Amino acid sequence: MTPINISLLVFMIGLYGVMSKNNLIKKIIGLTIMNSSIVLFFISIGYRKAGLAPILEKGTTGGIPTIIVVDPLPQALMLTAIVIGMSITALALALIVRIYARYKTLDIQQLSKER
Amino acid sequence: MGSSKIIKTIAQKLFPFIVLFGFYLISHGHLSPGGGFQGGVVLGTAIILLALSHSIEQTEKKFKSRWLNMLEKLGILTLIFLGFLGIFLGYSFLGNFLPLGKPGQITSGGLMLFFNIAIGIKVAAGVSVIFYALVRYRGEI
Amino acid sequence: MAIHIPILIIISPLLSAFLVLLTRKYKIILATTSIIISILFISTLSSRILSGDKVTYHLGGWRGPLGISLVVDELSLFFSLIVLGLGLLVIIYSIPERRYGRTYYFLLLISLSSMIGISYTADIFNMYVFYELLSLAVYLLIAYNKKGMALRASFNYLIMGGVGLSFFLLGIGFLYAITGTLDIYHIAERLPVAFDSSTRMVIMSLVLIATGMGIKIAVFPLHSWLPDAHSMAPSPISALLSGITVEIGIYCLIRVIYSLFSTETFSTIISSSHTILIVLGVVTLLFGAGMALAQTDLKRLLAYSTINQIGIIFIGLGIGTELGLTGALFHVLNHAIMKGALFFCAGIMIAKAGTRDVQGLSGFNRQQPSIVFAFTIASLGMIGIPPTNGFVSKWLICLAAVEAGYTVLAVIILMASAITAAYYFRVIQVLFSGPSKQGPVLIHEGGQMIHEGNFFRTWTIYILVAGCLLLGIVPALGISMVKPAVSLLLSHVIP
Repeated sequence: MTPINISLLVFMIGLYGVMSKNNLIKKIIGLTIMNSSIVLFFISIGYRKAGLAPILEKGTTGGIPTIIVVDPLPQALMLTAIVIGMSITALALALIVRIYARYKTLDIQQLSKER
Repeated sequence: MGSSKIIKTIAQKLFPFIVLFGFYLISHGHLSPGGGFQGGVVLGTAIILLALSHSIEQTEKKFKSRWLNMLEKLGILTLIFLGFLGIFLGYSFLGNFLPLGKPGQITSGGLMLFFNIAIGIKVAAGVSVIFYALVRYRGEI
Repeated sequence: MAIHIPILIIISPLLSAFLVLLTRKYKIILATTSIIISILFISTLSSRILSGDKVTYHLGGWRGPLGISLVVDELSLFFSLIVLGLGLLVIIYSIPERRYGRTYYFLLLISLSSMIGISYTADIFNMYVFYELLSLAVYLLIAYNKKGMALRASFNYLIMGGVGLSFFLLGIGFLYAITGTLDIYHIAERLPVAFDSSTRMVIMSLVLIATGMGIKIAVFPLHSWLPDAHSMAPSPISALLSGITVEIGIYCLIRVIYSLFSTETFSTIISSSHTILIVLGVVTLLFGAGMALAQTDLKRLLAYSTINQIGIIFIGLGIGTELGLTGALFHVLNHAIMKGALFFCAGIMIAKAGTRDVQGLSGFNRQQPSIVFAFTIASLGMIGIPPTNGFVSKWLICLAAVEAGYTVLAVIILMASAITAAYYFRVIQVLFSGPSKQGPVLIHEGGQMIHEGNFFRTWTIYILVAGCLLLGIVPALGISMVKPAVSLLLSHVIP
């Protein structure tokens, strides 16, 4: 049960949520779970055994540290991915507010019956 | 959406500390975990805390929607302007042209500090504007 | 300054997008000026690129695998020229509409800038970020008029697009785990070495990236967002979406397959992926043609026709020979021109007649014969009838199929062209004959009418139809535009 396998399992759970839930908000929650699982996947890829946090301590004179650090690049990528996930959630919620104001229901089966 | 007196007082007292923490995260982005986006979100949540504990109309009167929109556009235009400064001073777009200080101090990292500040202000304004837009329909639907 | 041109081409629409938000009077002038500046910049680059030299730019001065680089080669140049050309015409078409405020031009410019960014970047995570930016702008543009159906179509597209791009990101994660870098050229160097040690992760990454892109390209099982999204959007946005936004997904797929998985170790994978592309292309082709035959809504019919043409492009890509690739890329250009003209005409016709139903458009020829003439020429191009450009590209793909030994593919393409003829001729017949119904003039919120047969709109249609006929009568012109890109792709593939 390595972290990579767990993150792929959570990805599948999120995908199940998007596919099979009828409520629009639950679909958004499923999409958010998928985004979070990808963040978990990237961070667990960057892990190095016995690695410390990639922060320069005060008092170092610069240059390449000779200690083992975890890979900082996936963490920087995931900052961007979290921002993107947040924007998609905000946009989806704004659309849901408008859809509810127009149709008075959030159930996708009932919405597909509308003209 | 008023709350009890305890919550209102605590929120008012906590607000400057949250703003201070947000600015700390923004300005120490190149030294410790943090950066433009994270600090900006903390600043935005400070405004949301005020809006939730007091009434939203009062918060909108203090932090006007028009000002926040203007701040947001200013933030991104500052970012692109700093990128163009990189071009005019001979480096490439978004290239660093400030001297790098000693690592570990706040003046190291050159242009990153200003990028972080611009992004932090933009994200703070953006999160607040999104919050205002989403609560516009409260109680009516 | 000349060295900074690649980033300036991307930044110019982006900067004017944010400036457009500040002014109300100058928004159209800003929009058109920025696109024209980008076109001028590209034309200064094209002579260098066409002579075989790639233009590279390192953002922030960070070289190598550490930083993000922009690489403009012939394929990127081809796609970015289509983006800018069609984008300029879409902006000009949107000028007469008073309802389109600052937000519309803002979103349009951001989507154009991010499409150029996708084609220029050489960093695969940057490609994902630009693609998400494009998707966000497009979700908002589809829901721009805030009608109920448009909101639901946009939400549907948001969910499916979000899932698709999550698959793409997961594939990028696998690639990073194997190779340790994100730059496309460095991944291409390290991937054959990694393929021996962790074969399944490499295949997994290709599958995930292909599935993610498949959702955005709308191939057969993953197409269901496209008819709603493209028909409920405003007409200039439908032209942009069908014309080039779907094809940027095809660019990403081509870039991943030909730049990353193109060395000798992957030859079995590439040959089986060619088979899958052909099968998917055939199914998409027949499905799109069949569903379009049953539509009564004009814009939905055009949207299913887009699915039809995407199938043909996939068949051309799957055949993989020089003729096949030339036909596929030339069909991308032709589809942008013809589908743009069709959606522009449909916009004018729907606005004047007041209804989207095909029967309601009867007798339109008496009202505006020039628009109906343009619609007829463009649909002849979609069917593939001689003096139009659609004929040239479909002919190239059929020829490639016969040469490679897949004669049944040529037969299937001709059958699908017959079905295409059926549904387009049905619309044209209704347009030419029948009682001329003057529908209710559409009055919108604010009480302003759309200026239907306006000067800007008709001239954009004329330019597109002229391009259609020009590329059909002088096919060497179009093929010479596509040949540099095709020779670049073929030079990657080591047989």
